[in-house]
Amino acid sequence: MNAELRFRPFFSLTRREIKRFLKVIVQTIVAPLINSSLYLLIFGVSLGRNIDLQSGQNYLVFLLPGLIMMGCLNNSFANTSSSIVGSKFAGELEDYKVVTLNPWQILLALSTGGVMRGLMVGFLTLLVGEGFIYYEVGHFVMPENPLILLYFLFVGGLCFASLGVSVAFWAKNFDQMSAVGSFVILPLIYLGGVFYSIDTLPPFWRSVSEFNPILYFINGVRYGFIGESDVPILTATILSVVMLSIFFSISFFVLKKSNFKRW
Amino acid sequence: MSSNLPLEVVDLTKKYGSFKAVDAVSFHINPGEIFGLLGPNGAGKTSIISTIVTLEEPTEGEVKVFGNNVRKSKHSKYELGFVPQEIINHGFFSVEEILQFHSGYYGVKNNQERIEYLLDKLGLFEHKDKKVKQLSGGMKRRLLIAKALVHKPKLLLLDEPTAGVDIELRESLWSFVSELRKEEGLSILLTTHYLEEAEQLCDRIGFLSRGRLIKTGPTKELIEGQTNRFMSIVLKPGTSVECSHDFFIEKKADVLTFKLPYQYPVGELLACTSLKLEQIQDIKIREGSLDDVFRQVVGGGVL
Repeated sequence: MNAELRFRPFFSLTRREIKRFLKVIVQTIVAPLINSSLYLLIFGVSLGRNIDLQSGQNYLVFLLPGLIMMGCLNNSFANTSSSIVGSKFAGELEDYKVVTLNPWQILLALSTGGVMRGLMVGFLTLLVGEGFIYYEVGHFVMPENPLILLYFLFVGGLCFASLGVSVAFWAKNFDQMSAVGSFVILPLIYLGGVFYSIDTLPPFWRSVSEFNPILYFINGVRYGFIGESDVPILTATILSVVMLSIFFSISFFVLKKSNFKRW
Repeated sequence: MSSNLPLEVVDLTKKYGSFKAVDAVSFHINPGEIFGLLGPNGAGKTSIISTIVTLEEPTEGEVKVFGNNVRKSKHSKYELGFVPQEIINHGFFSVEEILQFHSGYYGVKNNQERIEYLLDKLGLFEHKDKKVKQLSGGMKRRLLIAKALVHKPKLLLLDEPTAGVDIELRESLWSFVSELRKEEGLSILLTTHYLEEAEQLCDRIGFLSRGRLIKTGPTKELIEGQTNRFMSIVLKPGTSVECSHDFFIEKKADVLTFKLPYQYPVGELLACTSLKLEQIQDIKIREGSLDDVFRQVVGGGVL
């Protein structure tokens, strides 16, 4: 089989996924960006003026990487899950099974589409956040380790995009879908250290927080941005690879067992 | 049986829990042939097609497309075009984008020429920038057909492709499919509720009932084997005739009715009855139809 036949189906589905969210850019990019901007305004600018961090860091500068990662994770998950649920509803998912796409290609293409949206939201949140920082601090803050920042954004986004694939393929109805989002994803993100350092928590809750996989992604991005992290960066890097492998394995298994039928 | 047949379904059984939707069904399609799968609702037609396109896994048996087991070989997917029974809504995308993506899913690059040919032939060219929800029911069906043909398959599976489509469109659709059959050597598996359509189009027919394939054969042979040919001779008023021919059934008023074998010459019958031409007002011949065969073979099920 030549390379054209092997890779074109993957690229076509990836292109479709990216085009899909760009066609509704207000809903998929602008709305999350406004959401992040409001967090920056309320928590970063307004309340942040009254928060003194132990490290002496400006709270707005501390908050921004957390919000960048939160936007990236949320939107990576939302993109794949909404795309699959929409396709289940429309019957389009059956097409993926009938054509020459294999489960790996489907998983990788959907996840790539998801992470692209996550990265776009993350990057735009960074730009908006820099505007707020300039307004508050008087100068821009350049990322300390841009490659590390990009690495955690990309790997974290991929993990959540693939999680969106498995949840959406597994879900039998909208209730199951939204239950995972509301009762699992959202608490994990909010309790993953977006708004605070886990060093401020009592020892018990700090230990509990260390079981939250999102903590490592958020702190990875924070390390990339300001050079500070609640967890050792090497641990975060190793765990990110482990989580990526686990998330992709689960998604692949779920996808392989799914029937692709319409709701 | 040659392994290069476009489609071979061998002892296919599909169970949903304890319910047997398809029960040890075997049939094949010859190259360039249109095979019609007919049966009442719930007979198992869609389950068979879903198994061929790998949407369903067979409980037992196997399906081969051009010699390749569909579950084991990806190659068979390149040879298959599938038109599902239900409309697919592609949300945000235009007709042209949908066909471009679909070409890509089959690994076909730069397929614009084929896409425009199909859009033109299926009367969708001026609607190529519209989204699915902006199309009429008939256009949506034609889009499904364009999608199925975009990668030039050799075997086309049509699951009730003309449901809800008006007569004019149905005819243009079938003339296009016949054209493709001639030009591209397409073989076709068709399920339809329009028996007249199946009678005109299908070279062979298979009748399904409760998951079992109960009768298969060439369309003409099935009709001739399962139905009768009736000839009615309308006599001029006042004509008095006595008739005792073997094929004679009855005389009602001035009408004599005969039941003839399909190959039996009408002239020979007329000669045998010693009727004179000037005594005859009219002759009517009614041949059996696929509808009659369906009623006989399948019974009174709802088609």
